[in-house]
Amino acid sequence: MEDLNLPPIDYAALSPILILFGVACLGVLVEAFAPRRARHPVQLVLAIGGSVAALVMVVLERNTRVVTIGDAVAIDGPSLFLQGAILLLGIVSLLLIGERSLEAGGPFVAQAALTVGSEKDNRQAQGAPGNTEIYPLAVFALSGMLLFVAANDLLTMFIALEVLSLPLYLLCALARRKRLLSQEAALKYFLLGSYASAFFLFGVALLYGYAGGVNLQQINEAVAASQNSDILLYAGLALLAIGLLFKVAAAPFHVWTPDVYQGAPTPVTAFMAACTKVAGFGALLRVLYVAFEGVQWDYQPVIGTIAVLTMIVGSVLAVTQQDIKRLLAYSSIANAGYLLVGVVAQNREGVSSTLFYLVAYGFTVLAAFGVVSLVRDADGEATHLSRWAGLGRRSPLLAAIFTFLMLAFAGIPLTSGFISKFVVFGAAIDGGQSWLVVAGVVTSMIIAFPYLRVIVMMWLSEPAETTPTVSVPGWMTSAAVFIGVLATLALGVVPSPLLDLTNDASLFVR
Amino acid sequence: MLVLLAVHALAAVLAPSLVRALGRRALYLLALAPAAALGWALTTATATETHPWVPQLGLEVALHMGALGRLMVVLVGGVGALVLAYSARYFAPDDAGLGRFAALFVAFAGAMLGLVVADDLLLLYVFWELTTVLSYLLIGHDAARRAGRRAALQALLVTTFGGLAMLVGFIVLGEHAGSYRWSVIAGDLPSGPLLTVAAVLILLGALSKSALVPFQFWLPAAMAAPTPVSAYLHAAAMVKAGVFLVALLTPAFAVSAVWQAVAVTAGLATLLYGGWRALREHDLKLLLAYGTVSQLGLLVAVLGTGTRTAALAGAAMVLAHALFKSALFLVVGVVDHVTGTRDLRELSGLGRRMPALAAVGVLAAASMAGLPPLAGFVGKEAVFAAFATGAPLDTAVLAGLVAGSALTVAYSARFVWGAFGGAKPSEALPPGPALLAPAALLAAAGLAAGLAAPVVDGLLAPYAAGLPGPGYHLALWHGLSVPLGLSAVAVTAGAAVFAATRRRSRDAAERPPAGTAAYDRLMHGVDRLAVELTGATQRGSLPFYLGVILLVMVVLAGVALLAGAPWPVALRPWDTPLQAVVGAVVAVAAIGAARAHRRLTAMILVGVAGYAVAVLFILHGAPDLALTQALVETATIVMFVLVLRRLPATFSERPLRGSRLVRVAIGVAVGAVAAAMAYVAAAGRQARPVSLGFPDLAVSYGGGDNVVNVILVDIRAWDTMGEISVLVVAATGVASLIFRRSADLRQRAPAPPPGPGTGWLRTATGAAQQSIVLQVVTRLIFHVIVLFSLYLLFSGHDAPGGGFAGGLVAALALAVRYLAGGRDELNAAAPVDAGKVLGTGLFVSVGTGLAALPFGGQILQSAIVDLHLPVLGHVHLVTSTFFDIGVYLIVVGLVLDILRSLGAEMDRQMSEPEEAA
Repeated sequence: MEDLNLPPIDYAALSPILILFGVACLGVLVEAFAPRRARHPVQLVLAIGGSVAALVMVVLERNTRVVTIGDAVAIDGPSLFLQGAILLLGIVSLLLIGERSLEAGGPFVAQAALTVGSEKDNRQAQGAPGNTEIYPLAVFALSGMLLFVAANDLLTMFIALEVLSLPLYLLCALARRKRLLSQEAALKYFLLGSYASAFFLFGVALLYGYAGGVNLQQINEAVAASQNSDILLYAGLALLAIGLLFKVAAAPFHVWTPDVYQGAPTPVTAFMAACTKVAGFGALLRVLYVAFEGVQWDYQPVIGTIAVLTMIVGSVLAVTQQDIKRLLAYSSIANAGYLLVGVVAQNREGVSSTLFYLVAYGFTVLAAFGVVSLVRDADGEATHLSRWAGLGRRSPLLAAIFTFLMLAFAGIPLTSGFISKFVVFGAAIDGGQSWLVVAGVVTSMIIAFPYLRVIVMMWLSEPAETTPTVSVPGWMTSAAVFIGVLATLALGVVPSPLLDLTNDASLFVR
Repeated sequence: MLVLLAVHALAAVLAPSLVRALGRRALYLLALAPAAALGWALTTATATETHPWVPQLGLEVALHMGALGRLMVVLVGGVGALVLAYSARYFAPDDAGLGRFAALFVAFAGAMLGLVVADDLLLLYVFWELTTVLSYLLIGHDAARRAGRRAALQALLVTTFGGLAMLVGFIVLGEHAGSYRWSVIAGDLPSGPLLTVAAVLILLGALSKSALVPFQFWLPAAMAAPTPVSAYLHAAAMVKAGVFLVALLTPAFAVSAVWQAVAVTAGLATLLYGGWRALREHDLKLLLAYGTVSQLGLLVAVLGTGTRTAALAGAAMVLAHALFKSALFLVVGVVDHVTGTRDLRELSGLGRRMPALAAVGVLAAASMAGLPPLAGFVGKEAVFAAFATGAPLDTAVLAGLVAGSALTVAYSARFVWGAFGGAKPSEALPPGPALLAPAALLAAAGLAAGLAAPVVDGLLAPYAAGLPGPGYHLALWHGLSVPLGLSAVAVTAGAAVFAATRRRSRDAAERPPAGTAAYDRLMHGVDRLAVELTGATQRGSLPFYLGVILLVMVVLAGVALLAGAPWPVALRPWDTPLQAVVGAVVAVAAIGAARAHRRLTAMILVGVAGYAVAVLFILHGAPDLALTQALVETATIVMFVLVLRRLPATFSERPLRGSRLVRVAIGVAVGAVAAAMAYVAAAGRQARPVSLGFPDLAVSYGGGDNVVNVILVDIRAWDTMGEISVLVVAATGVASLIFRRSADLRQRAPAPPPGPGTGWLRTATGAAQQSIVLQVVTRLIFHVIVLFSLYLLFSGHDAPGGGFAGGLVAALALAVRYLAGGRDELNAAAPVDAGKVLGTGLFVSVGTGLAALPFGGQILQSAIVDLHLPVLGHVHLVTSTFFDIGVYLIVVGLVLDILRSLGAEMDRQMSEPEEAA
């Protein structure tokens, strides 16, 4: 038996992933050993500090283009860009997650295993300090995402998928209030997510049979010249795509999104809407562009159809929503559709425009959920839209911010929403996919309706007795919302630097 | 120009603090921004500037001001400055929203300025949308009524829709022409069907913005805005954006017949509809609003024609309309301000009480009616002249224009009569000069422009210069011409219409504008569709969601399977027919499990399927696998039973027959596709299986004859290591979920058993409920089973067995003890903490793996030791056996943990009363 040789490992290139993984493990130890009172500040500092450190490493490694650790991980332009984006958005999400001044004890349940409605549960709802295990969970999810976008073989990608998904399932179940809703959301997400993962794995197995390997380059070569049955290729690709499209909430795999977005604690929803989307699309781009470039003419119509379906479902169903979190969920579905338009373009602009869109959307959606977490009444967040009537009178600043964010979602110029839609559609036209652009514009018109209705409701209705008050945000939520709004504005007015960056970062290593 | 835009932006940013510091006088200061634009435009003929913005998108700040742009800048800046000055007196000094109003207003003026000087079409769109958003915020300034809300939403939706359509038109045009600079495109317009598409889309934007048929309904509804806003947005600025766009593009687009036809038809229809509605309104502001709709129709019809005279006439009318209409709005604002009403049925005697106001109003209304020597007259003369060519089509348009003018005369008269007529003295105090001055200035400007028609002609002529058609010059007097006669006809007819209608009191004003119904139906339809779709697809039902995902899987993978035909054909049904029988048993059990009504039945049937699979393993010649499978099945059944005790006996909800059939179909389809894929995958093998070499390697390197066991503890020891770690974690997780209090968790290690007997025959007392016979029997066989499990453990390397199977056997022994005697019996049988067993097991396994290191081996490498011991004889020992011991301990610990938590702890929780609520 020949000796096993360790493959060379570029630790510097992997350092962002390793740092986060280490920080998450440290977080678990803190849970075990630190005194209860100290856990929250320690965990928060650890999580944010770790993310910042990882971000610094990403910036330092910005010129790295390498496939390392036995071809399992590719650190190249897109993965570095996506990792940076995930970390930035993750830090802002952590700010939202760490907020404890809005509600005694924070938005998370103190003990997840308490029976809902029991006496103890009522006691914990009164303000027992919230669970601090959320931080290691969130950091594990972040590290999984970093690996997910950089994974260069399908097995690594699957492991990363699980590393990012499992903590998210848990996080969804940890809301302090409306716990049954939260647990139901987590259960649905978990069950459906498990199916999606299983499909993904099945697909990997079939592709292994086809290409004789799970490495993306290997598959790429096999697509060009394999003797094996094409059934394995197509069925494998279909199953793989189901797993990935589930994560990015594309129709018809979007069904979980509204329920989960509504039930999960708002900061977690924000985290999912921003970071998971980036990670999911990052992986989708890599798989489609690196491994399956050779069959793009076969899958383009399918993904294109899914994109159109996603846009239509997201925009039409958004019209009737009465709950702000559900509305944002459908909006996120519609945005997944627009992102798919960029993916299908299948050219360099497609990659760069998708990258731009991801960042722009991430910041906007984070700020939007940050605002949602501020509008509360005695029972916690007031998410029903009718309760938002007249908010402009009660708290003009907050309503103005939310108005701006809604306009950004609607794609009005001078917001990042306009530029991102513009670049994505432009890429699709260049890629010869004009029919997608037509669908995109029509659905943009439809989905503008619910956004504008929210604006009108906030400003032009008399505040009712039941219009909730707006909590004074702590510095963390303020910072998160501020960063989100600033990014939305900046990317709308001076998008050039980021466009340059995405353009430079749009080549995959092979 | 960029400087001017920056000035506006700066002013808008500073506005709130300025207003806070200076009160409403700050508005005078802010008026300097639009005034500067006016001053610049008056002194500059043409200008072009280009600054890079987003080069990646081809987006640049390209600004260009020609003759048309100059006219618009003058209007936007001049009217803007005057309205701001007017606002300084219009709003109450303590109006809380004044700072916001001032900021939005100046910002709007800036956006409007940008719109009219933008050369890059995308930049134009940016400013276009900015005006939409800002106008919405201005309209919503103090409208809290439901009607106001509806109106604002309507205005926003319609103009946003139009804007997006226009953007697409721009993009079609720009991509086709290769540039977004209008000055570039205009000279070299691409032709073909794409041009028509672009024309229609852009016109949609223009028509929606300028409230033309079929979008006319939003403008009157938007009159909920404060009057200065109406005067600026709905007379001079925003609604003119559409007109401006038409005027800008017509010189190049007139070659497109569609462009002309749509613009003229929509314009004429709007002209007549607006005029007719204006005659029926009682609210002065609504009267003006419909008048504006009507005039905008006229402007678009004229400007969309594309002849030289028409272009000149249109430009003159744009100027005239902006001057008189904003003056009239301001006058209405004054009337509203001093009397508190705008209803012309209540107003009376204002003319006598306030002659100055009346004079301004009459002057402006006369210009609207097109009476000499005012700007309105000059414009209308030119309009008539443009169409008095004798061509049949032109004549038809001309007839419409004359009819529209007659209506204009009629509603102008109605306005004057309603606002200032009547004899009843009014109590109201006259307005101060500061409030009246802006309106007076605008009205006077209308007079001046009329008198100085040749100067205006000189300024506007360059715009029309390049167009086909005979030349024409704006003037008050062209001699006794056809247009003059038509003017006379229009004035006479208008007076007659006014006389005929003024006495009629109809309540038409309560009716919403035409088109509202269509808009409502459309909105309702979208709403309805959304609700239906939500109801159909988003019921929150997990089975439904899963069904959708599975169906797509079936479709995608099924299509791939079908497309990939022909399939590999190496199909061999079975080795022995017995396999088919067992397969049938599995299938029947699976179907039965799916159909079962009771949970226990379903679970047992699943178990049957599992045992049948074990038989399949035996038939395949893998007794070891079969043993393990059977043991796992048994252990699983025990656990299931423990859990099922706490669940209802039957499945709670039985779906309706229809949906059951659907589920069956989906299930069958998924099964078929999955089986097909498994078949294809298995048949598609081309490489040699790696496992072919295992039997030899197992003996030579692993030192064991049981290949399965060697795989587990040697060849794939890393995998096993991972799996047992997962087992430990799972066991811990189960325990921590079930033991509600962490104190319980710490105390789960059993207390010393209270019963008689010590050492190896320990028993518990107090388990009287259970059968004594069963207890005794289990106590008797318990040790035998444990011994057997140890045999399996140690013989496993060469014969069927191994740590996993052995552990399961021992665990089953514990389970039997528990089932026979309850938790005390279990504690008596295994007086140890399950956690410690788990920990020890993991420690042993990892320790064995690491132990190879000091001896120079690799992690988990095994060594073979052959010894001769006195009693036992020849002992063939492989170090990986110790690894297997770890596995054994972990399996025992896991099952013990589960028995303690799912069994014993749940017994305890069930026996104690439910936690007090």
